[in-house]
Amino acid sequence: MRAVYLGNYFIAGCIAFSLLGWVASLHPIAFRAVLCLLAAIAIGWGLSWLLDFSLSKLLKISVADLQALLISGLGMLLIGLGVFLCT
Amino acid sequence: MHLKLFMLSASSVVLWIAPLAALDKTLDINKALQGASLTAAIACAVTAGNIAREQAEQNEIEEIKTRAITADVVDEIATSAYISQQQRQQEAEQILNPCEHLERSLALTYDEGERSEPITQNQLAEPEKNGSENGESERIERIHQLQAKGWGKAKIILEIWGVTKGGSPKYKAAEAEYKRLIQEEGGF
Repeated sequence: MRAVYLGNYFIAGCIAFSLLGWVASLHPIAFRAVLCLLAAIAIGWGLSWLLDFSLSKLLKISVADLQALLISGLGMLLIGLGVFLCT
Repeated sequence: MHLKLFMLSASSVVLWIAPLAALDKTLDINKALQGASLTAAIACAVTAGNIAREQAEQNEIEEIKTRAITADVVDEIATSAYISQQQRQQEAEQILNPCEHLERSLALTYDEGERSEPITQNQLAEPEKNGSENGESERIERIHQLQAKGWGKAKIILEIWGVTKGGSPKYKAAEAEYKRLIQEEGGF
């Protein structure tokens, strides 16, 4: 059951990134805004990888859990935008 | 609950993939439909995730309960096995060593009898008598030890009272006490 709820949240994240792509497709300004948002997400993602130990203490989770969250976030982004762009 | 979970998960995936694949992105109406379906898909996926999480938490609680019950049962079985083992060991000891058991029982009975006796005024008033009784009992014990070694009366009197054999009044007194102690011991 744990896998089911994690899978559902993962799908929700993928759909959220597809929605982000859909928002970007509405208008050029929205596209730039989404690009800025994605850049911010990428910077935050990289910083989280670099500061994983201090961030895990701050969030009170293990380093492995934090790394799993970051990898799954990257997977959501790739799958969500990939589905939106390929369809 | 499981059916609802399955339906929500499936509908979220369908609402995510189908509009993007089937509808043309150039038309405004299609774009609006895609946006609505994606929003609905997110809602379905999050709802399904929440339901599954609640189920997972309930399952964990049930597992903890089951583990606690199992541990209780195991502990109870181990305790009863330990108690029965102790009982068997005690029974075996009683069977194998009846003499020791009898001695212990006698010792306990003697202690209880001694304790249950009320303290009389005579006992309180005559501590010296008790002291002499203790001395007599020690002498009796010593006499028995020397008799066991094969010593004769004269040698025992010499050993205990320090009086050599003869017609002296000291020896006669010692001899009389010796006989009295032997008789008392025989009387008991």
